[in-house]
Amino acid sequence: MVAGGLVPGLGARVGPLRLADIDEPDLPGPGWHRIRPRLAGICGSDLTTIDGKSSRYFEPIVSFPFVPGHEIVADSDLGRVVVEPVLNCIPRGIDPSCSFCAAGLTGSCQNLALGQLEPGLQIGSCADTGGGWSTAMVAHESQLHAVPDDMSDEAAVMVEPAACAVHAARRPEADQPSTVVVLGAGTVGLCTIAAIRRHLRPGTLLASAKHPEQRKLALQLGADVVVEPDGIRRAVRRLSRSPMVGTGVGEGAEVVFDCVGSETSIDDALNIVRPREQVVLVGMAGRTSVDMTVLWHKEIRLVGAYTYGVETTGDRTFDMAFDLVRDADLSRLVSATYTLDRYREAIDHAANAGARGAVKVVFDLRGERYR
Amino acid sequence: MRLVGPRFPLGKPNWPASIPRPPVTRRTGVDYETEWARNYGSRLARAVIVDDVLRPVLHLIASPTVHGEDRLAGLEPPAIFVANHHSHLDTSLLLTSLPERFRHKAVVAAAADYFFTTRAKGAVSALAIGAIPMERTKVGRRSADLAAGLLADGWNLIMFPEGGRSPDGWGRAFRGGAAYLALRCGRPVVPLYLEGTGRLWKRGKRWPKVAAKGEGVHLVFGAPLWPEEGEDARRLGARVEQTVGALADEWSTDWWSARRRAAAGTTPALTGPAAGAWRRAWALDADASSRSGRRAWP
Amino acid sequence: MSRPGFVLEVDRSTPPILFHQGEGFRLEKLPAGSRVVYPAEPVAPLADPDGAIRQALLHPVGDSQPLPSLLHAGMRLTIAMDNQAVPLPPMARPDNRQRVVEIVLDMAAAAGVDDVELIIAHGLHRRQTEAELRHMLGDRIYDAFAPHGMLTQHDAEDHDNLILVGRTDQGEHVEINKRAVTSDLLIYVNVNLVAMDGGHKSTMTGLTSYRGLKHHHNVTGMQHSRSFMDPPNSELHNSVWRQGRLLASAVKIFQIETTINTDTFPSQFSFLQKREWEWSPRDRASYLAVSKSLERVPPRMARSIFHGMKSPQKMTSVQAGEVEAVHQLTLENVHRQHLVPVHGQADVLTMGLPYVGPYNVNSILNPLLVMCLGLGYFFNLYRGKPLVREGGVVIMSHPTRWEFHPVHHPSYIDFFEQVLAETTDPLEIEKKFEEDFATDPWYIHLYRNSYAYHGVHAFYMWYWGAHALQHVGQVIIVGGEPRAVRRMGFKPASTLRDALEMAEDVVGRDPSITHMHNPPIFISDVT
Repeated sequence: MVAGGLVPGLGARVGPLRLADIDEPDLPGPGWHRIRPRLAGICGSDLTTIDGKSSRYFEPIVSFPFVPGHEIVADSDLGRVVVEPVLNCIPRGIDPSCSFCAAGLTGSCQNLALGQLEPGLQIGSCADTGGGWSTAMVAHESQLHAVPDDMSDEAAVMVEPAACAVHAARRPEADQPSTVVVLGAGTVGLCTIAAIRRHLRPGTLLASAKHPEQRKLALQLGADVVVEPDGIRRAVRRLSRSPMVGTGVGEGAEVVFDCVGSETSIDDALNIVRPREQVVLVGMAGRTSVDMTVLWHKEIRLVGAYTYGVETTGDRTFDMAFDLVRDADLSRLVSATYTLDRYREAIDHAANAGARGAVKVVFDLRGERYR
Repeated sequence: MRLVGPRFPLGKPNWPASIPRPPVTRRTGVDYETEWARNYGSRLARAVIVDDVLRPVLHLIASPTVHGEDRLAGLEPPAIFVANHHSHLDTSLLLTSLPERFRHKAVVAAAADYFFTTRAKGAVSALAIGAIPMERTKVGRRSADLAAGLLADGWNLIMFPEGGRSPDGWGRAFRGGAAYLALRCGRPVVPLYLEGTGRLWKRGKRWPKVAAKGEGVHLVFGAPLWPEEGEDARRLGARVEQTVGALADEWSTDWWSARRRAAAGTTPALTGPAAGAWRRAWALDADASSRSGRRAWP
Repeated sequence: MSRPGFVLEVDRSTPPILFHQGEGFRLEKLPAGSRVVYPAEPVAPLADPDGAIRQALLHPVGDSQPLPSLLHAGMRLTIAMDNQAVPLPPMARPDNRQRVVEIVLDMAAAAGVDDVELIIAHGLHRRQTEAELRHMLGDRIYDAFAPHGMLTQHDAEDHDNLILVGRTDQGEHVEINKRAVTSDLLIYVNVNLVAMDGGHKSTMTGLTSYRGLKHHHNVTGMQHSRSFMDPPNSELHNSVWRQGRLLASAVKIFQIETTINTDTFPSQFSFLQKREWEWSPRDRASYLAVSKSLERVPPRMARSIFHGMKSPQKMTSVQAGEVEAVHQLTLENVHRQHLVPVHGQADVLTMGLPYVGPYNVNSILNPLLVMCLGLGYFFNLYRGKPLVREGGVVIMSHPTRWEFHPVHHPSYIDFFEQVLAETTDPLEIEKKFEEDFATDPWYIHLYRNSYAYHGVHAFYMWYWGAHALQHVGQVIIVGGEPRAVRRMGFKPASTLRDALEMAEDVVGRDPSITHMHNPPIFISDVT
């Protein structure tokens, strides 16, 4: 896995990912359906896994060999569906459910390695279910959401990322904060911007974007001001009209969403947030080295935002996600499609999406011979 | 035992008593001929001595700092440079601190009865610092004409109007030679104030001492004083003396306070209090220690 | 005898022409038929500047008495002066201001004046450092006044020390430094580098506040200043004159103005002032040595080489007395050195921008200042009509690195990164953002306590080019960093040839070209 660590996306050439002809997975039990993916997205977490940079935290909740891919729109006997990938107590047949699943907070299910399935955080990291990057897989009925006829496949494949964004946008307990910052304008960042507009309704939404196409999209999706990453502190300072304290902003933004998850972005986030307010970590950070003095001194709340389930209003996140995809026209974020046999190029493209003017890269399974 | 050196022909011969002796041509003192020291070869040698020997040595001993040289911007040679005089260091210090255009075509008016007592001493003085002999008190026709002639030829003149080094650390009254020459040749007098040279090598000591860190000497250039319409030598001389006093005041306090005192006529005199020797020494010490912050005693 | 400026018609035998490019130079071959405007050679300086100053103070012009009769014991005297934005490059010691102020203070001392304050009238510019003040005024004045708090720098945000003298009949606020206004006599000492400076502009920009400046430092004012180097045709000056006359009726002002010649570069760079065909072998060797070594040296070092350079410019005139009478004489002297007659406009105007402008002495010429220097200053160095026709193209040569001095120009960084990213239209910028930047407490803090230009100053840089932006069809920067050039709405080109080809798309084939061989400075009298 050494080669994967050096160059983004190189894992696809050297690592343990390969295109294979394998048997379809068996149905683990009643309530399970066989589905055939139409489009399957490549997510940043998939890239991290392939590159071998994934945190060891995931080891107990992953079972090899697995087919990656958890952003799925597929054909099923129920019609076109979008998959909610988390393998919680219900698909696992665990009764009674854990306290989280009972409360509908399926994203926080703790029984991910137990029950009738192999360990697996979600479809796309479990040996028993198959995954999106294939022509056939299985999913439990509780995981399937019907796709309206007027919604395109491209829109549908964005539902899962949109659901993460909706959940993240609803994590902070803030009511119409005056200044909100989103760091990063990849898929996560852009979807989060759209979700924040609708669910958090901030006064001013400031975003940082490295690449010009990202910048354009950020503005279209609802950001008021977009700057380059190394100018974010200055931009926040100017918006809040506050002094600088060393290299940190004095007053700062009420909520900062870190949709990058690197040492630099976390450092920036802690230094631009208002004291006693929140930094929502949407991007998966891994093992990072950050000076936490600023967090301690400014009494900041660092909050993780993982994934969907049921929101505080009682609605399922996925339902809200469908609305978001439709209202914000998130289908335009699908920039490129690839067939499975060109998986190396696909992963390359996804790993360098920003620089190549792309956002979401997906596998197109609709033309596959063995569907 | 011979009193007059080795025997002839190695030594000088005795004159027979019957032969009349020719009149003695005095060739020392004021009569020492310094013309040879102003030819090209001597000037070259002197330039090397001044720039490559005297200058570094002085920097080592005295750590000099020059102030106010911007006042000479736009002044073309020749000019007469005058300064207060406390030490043998003064001449070399002045010479090595003049801007280039003045430095290498300069002569120093040196006391005839000290620097030109013997031909050897005269030769060294003339070569090393470009000295010309001058009387201390009443300047004779010969030295005056020599100095005026040199000025007219474009030579810069360095003079110490006090006539000699201070005996007790306070200044002495200025004599009028520089002012007279300025008027005669229509050239300006550039006053300078030298501070601290007496501390390092005062009159009477055999060798100088090396300046400690922060105790280097200071030179302050004043603006050139051109003879004014209808001004006579006495008035110009007084002006020169006042200016040097004002430069000293400027150095020890600040320029603006010095200007105001000069305008009001209250510049402290460099000649010190009109008092007896011990009180003058006492006042000198108080003056110095008030500036340096060190107490004289205990 | 110094030769006047003239216009060269380039032909096939003309050698390549020198173009400044920040801290570096290029030699460019201009197409035959181009014209190059050369400045006049430096006029002879005053033989006895100190004498001339004394003369001027004793024989003032206009309705004014000789200075000594205006000074008396017990009075309150304030001497205000230009900051180090002039002259460019900074002149070798002694500066004109040092000479004048020493002589003035001499007279003040003779009159027994004790209550004197020296004020650096820098308006909304940054404060000067101690080294800069010592260079400008000399050690004698600095050591006598600074330790006692008698040498101060104007603070436009110190509202306790600003007085609203009144409003003109057009409603313009005249808000001035309190010490200056409450003095028995206000003396102003300037260095009139270009025709824009001096007169009432000295006090009305140097000692005023944002409120006072807003009336003329705005987009409409600048668009109607055609040009601000030609006061009779400058909206900026109309406003400033109204304000200045109001001030003059409230405070006794004794104005002392000095001019300098264009002996801009020290001897090792003398080839920069000579006509290319008159370069001696020594000049050619100097040029090669200097330009090659500058290419190899990192930008920071090149900057410190250039900014360490002190100019041999010398005083050419000094006049004192009543503001407007003095300024008339001053302008005559400025024009004597600067004016070059030029017939007709061109389709394309080219210029090589040097390393320094009024707002980056000892600092970095950031992209915003590149625009201000080229489209603000150079473009407006005309009387009559601009050198380029309406809709024509301006081609400037400068590396335009995306580099800002964080201490001197903090608001410029934000302006460039955030404001220009949204729009480059001066009117929109003024409407949407100016107030915000002008009142931001952090910028005000840095202006008052650090060495930073005022928050609103970045906007003035952009407004300075507003007339050019309106007049010109396209702006191309040769050798500029593409990102930075595009951010300003201009086009980058790697060579002059490419730039001329790009220009042809706007002005048509075979355009007429005029090149400004500036610095040294000149004003084109275009008919």
